[in-house]
Amino acid sequence: MSVAMDVQPNDTVLPSFVRRVGNVIRLHVANPVPTLVLPWLIFAAVFALNYAIWIAVVSAAGGRDKLDPDAFSTSGAISWIYIFLLVAAAQAMSLTFAFALGLGITRREYFLGTVLYFTGLAAFYAAGVTALAALESATHGWGVEGYFFAPMFVGDMALVQQFAAHFMAALLLFATGLFAGAIYVRWRAVGLYIFFGGLAFALAALILIASLFDGWKSIGTFFTDQSPLAVIAWTVPWSLATAGLASLILRRATPR
Amino acid sequence: MTAIIHADGVSKSFGSVDAVRGVTFDVAQFSICGLLGRNGAGKTTLMNLLSGQEFADAGAIRLFGQSPVENASILSRTCFIKESQVYPDGFRGKHVLRAASWVYPEWDHELAEQIIKALKVPVEQRVKKMSRGQRSALGVTLGLASRAPLTIFDEPYAGLDAVARHTFYDFLLRDYTEHPRTVLMSTHLIDEVADLLDHVLLVDEGRLVIDAPADELRGSAITVAGVSADVERFVAGRHVLTRDVLGGLTSATVAGLTSADKVAAVEAGLDVSPVSLQQLIIGRTRGTQQEEVAS
Repeated sequence: MSVAMDVQPNDTVLPSFVRRVGNVIRLHVANPVPTLVLPWLIFAAVFALNYAIWIAVVSAAGGRDKLDPDAFSTSGAISWIYIFLLVAAAQAMSLTFAFALGLGITRREYFLGTVLYFTGLAAFYAAGVTALAALESATHGWGVEGYFFAPMFVGDMALVQQFAAHFMAALLLFATGLFAGAIYVRWRAVGLYIFFGGLAFALAALILIASLFDGWKSIGTFFTDQSPLAVIAWTVPWSLATAGLASLILRRATPR
Repeated sequence: MTAIIHADGVSKSFGSVDAVRGVTFDVAQFSICGLLGRNGAGKTTLMNLLSGQEFADAGAIRLFGQSPVENASILSRTCFIKESQVYPDGFRGKHVLRAASWVYPEWDHELAEQIIKALKVPVEQRVKKMSRGQRSALGVTLGLASRAPLTIFDEPYAGLDAVARHTFYDFLLRDYTEHPRTVLMSTHLIDEVADLLDHVLLVDEGRLVIDAPADELRGSAITVAGVSADVERFVAGRHVLTRDVLGGLTSATVAGLTSADKVAAVEAGLDVSPVSLQQLIIGRTRGTQQEEVAS
């Protein structure tokens, strides 16, 4: 058959790698609710609750000046968003991996597209939180000296530093979510049980070692001798290693 | 002829289950090939292996002459529609088809619209909420409109009613004629698709037991019926697929007959009737089972 020539691999018609990786990103955005919309809604709900409590406390005390100046600046509520980002990342993978492979996307393309998307998301959330922190600072804590987006030491950092800190923290959580997602995709729930069980044991072992060898003091100075930003920067190599491991796990994963 | 699919000694087991055992076959370009077999025979596993979604334990698979595993240039020319396909939460039918249109270079929007209309695919509905038949209709739309040079359908009709199935067959044949490609399709409804297929692969318990052109299979087996003694005399030394005895009468299905054999059967005073592809397949898969029980 002369038409057989049509099926010979032809480099000029090879779909470009970049476009195919881009398709993975489009797959993630096709339903924007879980990764782009829901985290902000959760965030808004947590903030609204905090704000309501602040107002209740202020009215009960009979005015903001009756309270400590930093009564409302020790909230850790912002860390909730990070846990949610971890879950969103793991969930996004379990939902799209099998579909992507069903559409003839390779595992390599899927991984790269997903990492790029999550990195973009980390920047998006870091920028959003930093912008809200700027607004918070401009309004002197939403009129009640309440510091939700930049509590404690975070408020002492310049906005650029805040952005960098949030970006790196979000990357860490996304990388962990990517890792958990890869484990789920490859070994299902059993893999996750073993992973989180192992993680708990590893943390317990570290605590034991620190206690046995009087390590708590040096752990303390590690956090106090460096600027908060420098401490957070230590997560970057960890995030990279986690993402690298996730790519190895995904390489042999099969859709179920 | 160019082999679009080439499988050589492909095996895959899951734990102690040997799903696919040393399967070797070729599928030629521009053919509609049926992959038949009972539930659990290994059809889906074989298709997962062909599309690079599963990794073979042994053997080699070549699509368009190359391994499909992690091969973007091969996979973008291959569309695999399986009944068990997982769709992302919240995806509506239109999202699925839109995503497919990004991925398959030959995607035909017009054709997709036509099939959506004919099969009443609820594109605005969430895939999760769709019935089995609606999901199948969505898969059929995707598979046909992808115009992928190699399209693999795993039980594409599941849950579709007879009218919808025939609409699918019509679209498949019409589009295949206008845009020739290679189709591998697993199915249970053998007689329904028998005229569509030009090649048949039959797997049974992970092994390939038939690899033959459909025409050859259709003509190769007949049923002879008559007085038991006459039937036994005729079938002696031949490959008997099935044998039913009722009183003094026997009806036997015999494979691999030439036209001279058939004339001989008629001259021996036997009733000769053709065997449908489905009956032949049932005979062959039941036969291997009996052998295994006997051994």
